[in-house]
Amino acid sequence: MTKFKVTFYPDNKTIEVEKDKTILSAALSAGVLLNTSCGGDGVCGRCKVIVKKGKVITQPSGAITLEEKRQQMYLACVTTVHSDLEIEIPVQSRIDFEKLSPQELALRLKGLYSDSEDVIESGQDIIEGVFKHSPLSTKIYLELAEPTLDDSISDLERLYRQVRRVQGVATMQTGLYNIRQLGELLRDADWKVTVTLGKRNDTVEIVLIEPGNTSQNNFGLCFDIGTTTISGQLVDLNQKKVLGTKATYNKQAVFGSDVITRIIYAHQESGLEKLHNAVSDTMNQIAKELINEHKIDINDVACVVCAGNTTMIHLLLSVDPSYIRRHPYVPTANFVPVIRAAEAGIKINPRGLLSCVPGVSSYVGGDTTSGVLASGIYKQDDLSILIDIGTNGEIVLGNKDFLVACAASAGPAFEGSGVSCGMRSSAGAIQKVSINPKDYKVNYTTIGDARPRGICGSGYIDILAEMLKAGIIDKSGKLRPENNKHIRQADSGREFVIVFKEDTDSSADIVITETDIENLKRAKAAIFSATAILVRHMELDFSLIKKFYIAGGFGTYVNIDNAVQIGLLPDLERNKFLFIGNSSLAGARQVLLSDEAMKKADDIARKITYFELSVDPGYMDEYGAALFFPHTDLTRFPSIK
Amino acid sequence: MATQLMIEKWLGNVSTTTIGATKAEGGTRANVVKIGGEQGLPFLFQEAAMPNKPVIAFEVWDIPPVDWPDELVKSLGSVVNDPFAWAEKCVSEYKAKILCVRMQGAHPDFGNKSADDSAKFISQLLKKVSVPLIIVGSGDDQKDSQVLPLCCEAAKSERCLVGSAVQENYKTLVGAVLADGHNIIAESPIDINIAKQLNILISDMGLSLDRIVINPTIGALGYGLEYAYSIMERARLAALAGDKTVGSPFICFVGQETWRTKEAMISQKEFPAWGPEAQRGVAWEIVTAAALIQAGADLLVMRHPKAVEKVNKYIGSLMESSL
Repeated sequence: MTKFKVTFYPDNKTIEVEKDKTILSAALSAGVLLNTSCGGDGVCGRCKVIVKKGKVITQPSGAITLEEKRQQMYLACVTTVHSDLEIEIPVQSRIDFEKLSPQELALRLKGLYSDSEDVIESGQDIIEGVFKHSPLSTKIYLELAEPTLDDSISDLERLYRQVRRVQGVATMQTGLYNIRQLGELLRDADWKVTVTLGKRNDTVEIVLIEPGNTSQNNFGLCFDIGTTTISGQLVDLNQKKVLGTKATYNKQAVFGSDVITRIIYAHQESGLEKLHNAVSDTMNQIAKELINEHKIDINDVACVVCAGNTTMIHLLLSVDPSYIRRHPYVPTANFVPVIRAAEAGIKINPRGLLSCVPGVSSYVGGDTTSGVLASGIYKQDDLSILIDIGTNGEIVLGNKDFLVACAASAGPAFEGSGVSCGMRSSAGAIQKVSINPKDYKVNYTTIGDARPRGICGSGYIDILAEMLKAGIIDKSGKLRPENNKHIRQADSGREFVIVFKEDTDSSADIVITETDIENLKRAKAAIFSATAILVRHMELDFSLIKKFYIAGGFGTYVNIDNAVQIGLLPDLERNKFLFIGNSSLAGARQVLLSDEAMKKADDIARKITYFELSVDPGYMDEYGAALFFPHTDLTRFPSIK
Repeated sequence: MATQLMIEKWLGNVSTTTIGATKAEGGTRANVVKIGGEQGLPFLFQEAAMPNKPVIAFEVWDIPPVDWPDELVKSLGSVVNDPFAWAEKCVSEYKAKILCVRMQGAHPDFGNKSADDSAKFISQLLKKVSVPLIIVGSGDDQKDSQVLPLCCEAAKSERCLVGSAVQENYKTLVGAVLADGHNIIAESPIDINIAKQLNILISDMGLSLDRIVINPTIGALGYGLEYAYSIMERARLAALAGDKTVGSPFICFVGQETWRTKEAMISQKEFPAWGPEAQRGVAWEIVTAAALIQAGADLLVMRHPKAVEKVNKYIGSLMESSL
C-alpha cells in the first residue's frame, strides 16, 4: 500500500497515511481537530482546508465558493490524499479545545439555582439544599475491638459489625479485592481504619478501607454531559462545598454536532469506542485538573454523578445508542444502576462509584430530570415551564401534581451550527448586538472581548430582533430588497454584513444570510410551537404559567425582550422568566450530596409523562404558524409592535 | 311550532374590496364591483348579512390561448384569436361585469412580450372595455416583476385587482399597487398560515387590508377541492371570529384549475364511458365553482360561457332566499 506524508500547518504536525484516505481522517490521526458538524458527510462545509502542496482528489461541493476554489480550498472530509501534502488549516475550521474563557464560564455558571432551605450557615461557595446531607459516598472512622478467643468472628464480619453499630446500615457488601488485603491491613493499622461506604441503590458497599483516620478527605465529582459542553464540579462531600467548577467542549464534537449524527457515527467501525473515549477523556481531563488544582488525592474521590441526555449517557457507558433513533425510539436504559466509575473509564478511586441521574425517554434525558430537581418545579403549587434551549430542546410543564415533558428537535442553529458564521459560545463569539436603524451600523460585544470570529446563539437572537426592529428584515425573515454597504447579493443568496473582514479574526466578513435566518426561524418555531402544543395538550393557557425557567449554557446570556421579539419565548410578563443556568449540573450536585435527592430524581423521572409531539395532529400547523417573526398570530405577542 | 334557529354571533367580518373606479372616482370604468363584506358564513341570511354576492370574472388572455382544450376554445369562437374582440364579446354577449386578463404573452415560453408592450396592451384594453379589470401575470416570477409594475402604471387610478404577490416575492408588486392605486391578489399555497403571513407582510408595507384579495390556491373537483375548501373555511371562521389579518375576500381561479384536469380534457373517443366531453368539462367547472361558493369564494375566475351562465343562475337562486 502506498503511503504519503501529510503535514498540517500551523500545527506543523506530520502523519503518514495510506493513499485514498481523506484529509479529515489524516488530521484526526495527527491529532489535529477540525470542525465537522455533519460527521464527515461533506454536507456542513465546516472542514475547509487549504492544500498548499501536493495532489488530492475531491468531490464537487456547493460549500466551496469560486473564490475559495481559487485559494485551493477543499473540504477535508471528501478530499483524498494522492501524494505527499502540505495542508494549511484556516482558523474557522479549527475546533478550539481550550477551556472556556473565565468570562464565559462565569456567565455559564451564573444563576445556578438551588433550593434554599439553609442547612449550614455558610459562605458563598457552600451549597444550600433542602435535601438531607447524605452523600453518595461517606467516610467513617472506625476503631475495631481486637479479636479474642471469646470474640472470634471473622475480620470482615467484625468490620461489618462495627459499621452497623456506627451507621445502622443493614445490607452490606464488599469486593474481593478488599477482602484479600483486609487481614493484614487491619492488623497493620492497629484496628483503626477509615472505611468509605458507597451507596449502590439499596445496598451499601464498603468501597475502600484505609489505615488511620482519613474521614476528612471525602470528595466527589458531578458532571453535566452536554452534547456540546461538558461541565464538572469537584465537591467536598463532608463540607458540602464546591471546590471548583470547570467546563470544556465535549470532544465528541469532531464526530458530529448533534446526537443523531453521533448515533450514526457509533455504527461505524470502532465508532462507539471512539465516542466513548472522547467523552470519558473530556471528563477525565476536567477531573484531573480539578483534583490537581485542589491538591487532593485521586483516591479520596470515590463517587461521580452524571446528568446528560439519553444518548450521552449511552455513549459514556459504551451502550449501543442505535435504537434511540429507530422507531419506536426506545433507549436501552433510562434508569442505570450505580456502577463502578472505572467501568465507564472514569479515573477516580479505582473502586469509586458512578451514578447517572435517570432519564425519561430517548429524547428527554437525565439532564432534564436533573433540571426539574434543581429548579424545584416538581414541588410548587404554581404551574411552571422549564425549557432547555439546545439542539434537542426539552420542555417540561407542571407543578407538584404532574409533570409532562416533550422534546423539540430545534436543530443546532442556536448553538452556532448549520448557520454560515455560527460558532459555539467560545472566545471571539459575537454574543450581544445592537443595530442602528439609520445607517445599519452594528455594535457588538464578543465573549472574552476577543476579535470576532463568528456568532453564537445569543448573538443570533439579538441580530434577528435588531434587524426586525430596524426593518432590515420583514416578518418572514426576508432582507430588504435594497443593496448598500451592509446588504448585498452573494453567490448563495442575500446577506447582511455584521462585521467586515478587516475587523474580524477570520479571513472573511461575518454575515447572516437569508438561509441562516430561515434556519434560525425554524429552530425558534420548533421550540415555541412545542411549548405551545404542550400547554395546549394539557388544556392550559400561557397566562396560567407563573414561572418560566430557561436553562442551558446558552440561556444565561439571552436578552429576554429580544427572545420574545423573535417569538422564541412566549410574550409573558418579563419577571416570570428566570434564568437558571446549568440546572443539569446543579441537580447532579444535589444528587451527589444526598441520597434523598437521588430518590427524588428517581421519582421525578418516573413521574414525568413523555409527550410525543409527532403524534399531535396540530403540531405541523402550530409549527407553520410559528414560522414568522414573532408569530403568524400576532395577538399572542401583544407587546410586540 | 316553528323551528328555533341557532343563531351564531360573529365578532368579525370580511373586508369589502372595491374593484374599478368610475369617472367620479378618478377612473374611466362604467361600473365598479364590490366583493366581500360578509358578516357571517355564506348564505345564512338569518344569521348575518351578505351585502355582496359572489362575482364571476371571465378569463381573457393577451394572446390566443395555447393549451386550452378544443371544446373550450370552440365555445368562445374565433374571437380568442383577437384579445380585444374576446374581451368585448365577454362584456357584450356574456354580460361580464368584470374581466380577468392574464398577461400570458409576456412569459418567456409564450412569446416573451416586453413589459412595454404588455403595458400598451392594458392601455388599449381599458379603452375597448369599460368594466373593471383583474390583471394577473404570466406565472414567470422574474418577468412578472418587470411586467406588472408597468401594467399598474398603465392602469393608474383604475383601481384594478393585480396579482399575484407571493411570500417570496411581494415587495415590488405591493410598491407598484400602492403607487398606482390598485388592489392586490395575495397568493398562498393552500396554507392558512402563509395566507395570513402574507397579508401581514403586505399591510406592513402600507397597503390596507381591504385592498388585499386572498388567492388561497384551489384544486378542481377530484384534485384537492376538499383541501382548498377546508382551508378557505378555516380562514373564514378565523376572520369571523375577529382575525382581521385573514379577513380578506377570496379569489378562486376555477377555470384555470378545471380545464387542465383529465376529466375536462379527454375526448369521448378515448374514454367512451365518460360521455361527451362537451358537457363534461362544463359540468366540472360548474361543480368546482359551486363548491367554492359554499366555502366563501367572493370572486371566481372562469372560462366557459355556459359554465358561467349556470353558476350565475345558481348564485342568483342562493341569493333569492335573502329577499
